Amino acid sequence: MLAAAESDRQGHDKWQTGFGRDLAFSFQEVTLRYGQRVALDQLDIAVGQGETVALLGPNGAGKSTTISLLLGLLRPDTGKLRVLGTSPRRAVAQGRVGAMLQTGSGTGLPPGVRVETVLRLVHRLYRRPATFEATVDLAGISTLLDRQTHRLSGGQAQRVRFAIAIAGDPELVFLDEPTAAMDVSGRRAFWEMIRLYGEEGRTIVFATHHLEEADQNADRVIVINHGRVVADGPGATLKAAVVARRVRFVCDAPDRKLLDSLEGVTDVKVRGTGVVVDSLDADATVAALVHNRVPFKDLEVTGAGLEDAFIALTRPDSAQGPQGQ
Amino acid sequence: MISLLAFARFEVGRLLRSWKFLVVTVGFPVVFYMLFLGDHSPGKVIDGAVPWRAYLLVSMCSFGALVASLTAGGARLSSERASGWARQLRVTPIPAWSYLVTKVTATMLVVLPVLVLVEAVGVGFGGVNLAPSMWFELAGLLWLGALPFAFLGVFIGFLVHAETAFPVVTALMFALGYFGGLFAPVASMPHALQVVAHTLPSFHNTALGIALLAGQSLSVVHWMVLLGYGVVLGLLLLMLHRREESRGLA
Repeated sequence: MLAAAESDRQGHDKWQTGFGRDLAFSFQEVTLRYGQRVALDQLDIAVGQGETVALLGPNGAGKSTTISLLLGLLRPDTGKLRVLGTSPRRAVAQGRVGAMLQTGSGTGLPPGVRVETVLRLVHRLYRRPATFEATVDLAGISTLLDRQTHRLSGGQAQRVRFAIAIAGDPELVFLDEPTAAMDVSGRRAFWEMIRLYGEEGRTIVFATHHLEEADQNADRVIVINHGRVVADGPGATLKAAVVARRVRFVCDAPDRKLLDSLEGVTDVKVRGTGVVVDSLDADATVAALVHNRVPFKDLEVTGAGLEDAFIALTRPDSAQGPQGQ
Repeated sequence: MISLLAFARFEVGRLLRSWKFLVVTVGFPVVFYMLFLGDHSPGKVIDGAVPWRAYLLVSMCSFGALVASLTAGGARLSSERASGWARQLRVTPIPAWSYLVTKVTATMLVVLPVLVLVEAVGVGFGGVNLAPSMWFELAGLLWLGALPFAFLGVFIGFLVHAETAFPVVTALMFALGYFGGLFAPVASMPHALQVVAHTLPSFHNTALGIALLAGQSLSVVHWMVLLGYGVVLGLLLLMLHRREESRGLA
């Protein structure tokens, strides 16, 4: 429903009418299985060039799988996948894509060399790289160049890996959980850097399970769970789309059935005399409370945070999502 | 092409700058050379061909090549793959096969200086006297014959987990060394072990060097066995690489 579905449809039209040039990448009914387990289930996504997009979802939702497909590290079982107007592997081979992958416990860097040596090598692997100085400046690693790679802290290693991701001056950059090993100030600096980088017209796609990170740093948030897109739109739209308002009040003998039937209500929680009602239309719900002569006290209406939206979207029983599939 | 050369140079530089690597690969054969030299009288002629000190020089060169290959390819490659660096390279423009080719090439390139260093010790401590051209020929011959070792090293690096790579490499190193007759002449082994020795690439690599020093013709059998190992290990390596690639791991 709403803007989420709207933008998805637009993406589709673009894809189908052949204006593929404008797309950074597109998935059309992409399915991928790991043995019996379905990792991606008929995934449809279209992202235009220049967008900064967050892939948001819990661990195991399919975020990394999505990125691996886009980088040609995996191939889909069924469905179509285009990156910068060509196949993922070609886009990578042409040096138009950069990536910062998840590395688990490793640093993602070869041990026993200086940072500068690794970074210079990576520049040489591209036909039209960024200048070495520009990469170092942007990633803010000038003080790390003389360090041995295995002596970097987690946050420092991630900065170096970001430098590696942008060394080839890519049009499209994938960042898989890029701030996982960073502290709060490191994170802030990192996202500031990404914002500047995105202003140059590049497409940036990052995976995260930090809700705030997605909300604050992306133009568009694509929520993935169980290998499906469950929501797609600006962070604010997502909040609005799921649980618009939360109504709390105190009531001596709450009638759950009645409350559940009121206009706009999506969820009712009763704890003793305390009642919490989630509603898509708080005005109508409150009017209905009055109309039905519910004896409420201390009524309070609040906006639900993205956190709630996220939980609602990724809850197993809400597989429908706001797209109303 | 330029990018592949840069990659190969990076790999070789990284290996030769590693003290641990050099100490292990040169240290093992050199220490063993000095230890085993006393096992027989240095001048005793082995198999009616060459004196013990020269036999041991050749076998320790082979051993050095083996240790270098297994260490460069096996243990280091395994931990490097665990670090995520190999995967990072897969998302740069260099083709997937170049990782494999560069690893084998870099391993072969570091085997050469190891051979030269062990030869130098043979001259210094063992008092082995050879014509200058013979030193070159010996190094070149053992180097060519080390290709199966390089494949084996890279194969282990792809096959084995980082945590288990070290014991596996160590076990292989000593098994191939001992049963291949690198620590004692094959002729002095029990018959059953002699049969085993003749199936191992380490034996045939050494045998080429011994034949060269003895002025005998280089038997086709040695080449065939080494080539066989090279082809089989090369194919296994390709299969493994392809499997990893399809899983998005390589």
